[in-house]
Amino acid sequence: MMNIIQINDLRKRFADNQVLKGIDLTIETGQIVGYIGPNGAGKSTTIKILTGITSDFEGEVTVLGMNVRENPIEIKQRIGYIPEQAALYDVLTPIEYLRFVGKLYQLSDEIIQSKSMELLRLFELSDKSDLRMNGFSKGMKQKVLLISGLIHNPDIIFLDEPLSGLDANAVILVKEILSQLKKAGKTIFYSSHIMDVVEKISDRIIIIDKGRVIADGSFDELKQNASEGSLENIFTALTGGSQQHQETAKEFMDILNSGKNG
Amino acid sequence: MDKFLLKLMLAFVKKFVRNGIDFERLKIITETKILMDRRRVHVNYNKQKDKDPKNPLLITLIFYGIFGFFFAIMIFSMKSIQLSMIFFHAYLLVMMAMTLITDFSSVLLDTTDNQIILPRPVNSRTIFMARMIHILVYLLQFTIALSLLPLIAVFAVHGVVAGLASILTTFLMVAISVFITYLLYILILKFSNEQKVKDIIGYFQILMTITFTVGFQIVPRLIDFDEIDQSFTLGFYSYFLPPVWMALTVEAFKEWQFDPLHLGMIAAAVTVPIFTFWFMIKYLAPSFSKKLGAMQNSDGARKIDTKHKKEKKLLSERLSPLVCNKEVEKAGFEMVWKMTSRDKGFKMQFYPGFAYIFVFIFIFVFKSGKDLSSIIQNLPNSNSYLWLIYLPMFTISGSITLIAFYEQFQAGWIYYSTPIKYPGQIISGAIKSLFLKFFVPLYLLMFATAYFVWGNHIVNDFVFGFFANASLFMLTAIFGEQSMPFSRQLNIKMQAGKFVKFFIQLAIVASIVGMHYFALKIDWLIWILIIPAIIATYFMINKIQKYRWKNITI
Repeated sequence: MMNIIQINDLRKRFADNQVLKGIDLTIETGQIVGYIGPNGAGKSTTIKILTGITSDFEGEVTVLGMNVRENPIEIKQRIGYIPEQAALYDVLTPIEYLRFVGKLYQLSDEIIQSKSMELLRLFELSDKSDLRMNGFSKGMKQKVLLISGLIHNPDIIFLDEPLSGLDANAVILVKEILSQLKKAGKTIFYSSHIMDVVEKISDRIIIIDKGRVIADGSFDELKQNASEGSLENIFTALTGGSQQHQETAKEFMDILNSGKNG
Repeated sequence: MDKFLLKLMLAFVKKFVRNGIDFERLKIITETKILMDRRRVHVNYNKQKDKDPKNPLLITLIFYGIFGFFFAIMIFSMKSIQLSMIFFHAYLLVMMAMTLITDFSSVLLDTTDNQIILPRPVNSRTIFMARMIHILVYLLQFTIALSLLPLIAVFAVHGVVAGLASILTTFLMVAISVFITYLLYILILKFSNEQKVKDIIGYFQILMTITFTVGFQIVPRLIDFDEIDQSFTLGFYSYFLPPVWMALTVEAFKEWQFDPLHLGMIAAAVTVPIFTFWFMIKYLAPSFSKKLGAMQNSDGARKIDTKHKKEKKLLSERLSPLVCNKEVEKAGFEMVWKMTSRDKGFKMQFYPGFAYIFVFIFIFVFKSGKDLSSIIQNLPNSNSYLWLIYLPMFTISGSITLIAFYEQFQAGWIYYSTPIKYPGQIISGAIKSLFLKFFVPLYLLMFATAYFVWGNHIVNDFVFGFFANASLFMLTAIFGEQSMPFSRQLNIKMQAGKFVKFFIQLAIVASIVGMHYFALKIDWLIWILIIPAIIATYFMINKIQKYRWKNITI
């Protein structure tokens, strides 16, 4: 299989803070990659570099065989990106927003119109397609964002916490869509905090902590190496969270009990 | 002032209304509500973006105080107490009602109580009292700002008795304005949905800002008190108007005149506000509160008839292929067209400036504002139509800077994640959109007016003016900071040190207008000048379209 993403010694610094400290990764076409790590581990920074949004970094990164520094526009044309807690122009209606994004991808009016309506129908938003989104719930906006990231039929999809705010039905739908996209040969780079979803859908799981990859493999491989039950346990064991979480919880209870009731 | 009023009221409650009130909780709830009032921006007077006032409420109150000052002068200069009191009470009614309409949901009907305070262990009497105190502090501080100076004037000019009566009528007038606000909201809710309510609040805010900006400029120039004083008589319909009741009440006490007419007016002035206030608290407020609460709990999405959904294209979508030749440019064009109609931040900043065009025209064309008829007679022989050609551009070009800013500026991430090689195309689309949406209709209106007054011979001036303005519009865009539409944080500091650019721009504007002025006598020259204006516009659009990311301020 072809390497669709190739990262060599990727480093990124924000002022005095070295966020990425030398990441090496190779991702093959058609994989669903779960990319997890604690807050501040460097997940979103990696995704911003891979999607051509940030060009100020050290190391070599190629996506779809193209250097991200030299060909960001060509890469953006063929990838979809759905960022975490992304804002959208919510005084527009879903159909108007999708038309705007579609035109940024240089899609024709007909394609934008038909795809938008079909995808909105799929996400049960077609009766709200003409309403301004400022009255929408977080989950409804998240659905519109998902559609906006997929409308141009990208080869690689980068998702940063795509399930946040979605209701149970929508979560099932997104999981199903992700497996359909995989069947269609798409590559999915998926960053999330919801471990059981990552565990279920990913072919490969990469755990990063403090700017370095600390584990990389299928769920079974990780389980074998860490001899822990669930991905959550593996994650806490590897990132050294387990003992710290226990201590924080104990401290929390101490504070609660320290004052008088009422 | 709000803190002082609050302390006063809390002291009153502590002394007299102790029964069932949890004083400590009452204090913290009211203090927090008043702190939030201070931080809410009421009407945006501050055009500069580099200032973020710590207490916007205070600035608003100072502006209200200045308005009050105008009315105090009016009370001093008008002979008739009846007339000056009608003006004063009408002003109070309009200002209070407009203020309340814009602040309605955060003051008169604060439903956040339901989510934040109801789940906490606070008894209902305390919640009710907190609400009452909050509303009273709010009303009182606006009433004081609006009426303190005029009331001092009443005491000074008409004596103590009239002064005391006018204090009473001021409060009665405020009560009526609260009732009118309620009534208006009930009407709006009856015939529309939450989106409409929000829109209407937005329009009122714009209307208020326009009232302020235009009012400050035009009213002092227009009012000739002596003339109005002499020609004033009350028609029978006037007796149905609350400001007239109040004015005649004050007059009755000043002149100590209690004939049937004055007694009737006093009765109306006292009973109507009290009755309406009672009716409002008893019947309107509870059902209204439920309705609005239910509306806020829903997802806010109106049900629409999907079967008959229109496939009709919006105007912006029909226009974009006519004026833009690239998909990305069309995206910018359509997006800016739609957003400028809907973003309250933009509308609040832009429309008052728009109103200024008429102020300028009034000032420049009619200059003194006196003897309008002779000015109008002489107009066809003047060159004043040049103002109509060039004034619109001054305020409309301000929209170019305004569209960069947006409350939810984070939504601009989309520009950086999509394959836009030339962000300048989005900007050129945006600028064409502003030009077509705001400049062209206004220019046509100016042309129609000028054609009516000056006739055929101004046609060539307006054709040249159109392209000269187009090139000036592009020039403003080129000289300004290049930003993606609706992608920058509000109140962000603008880059300093742009004086040189500004003066070059001003020099170019002056030379174009100057050239036009000198060419006025030579018809054929104006027709020829159109060609370089078109070429300049074309080249500037091209330049903007070629901007790359390195030219863009993020």
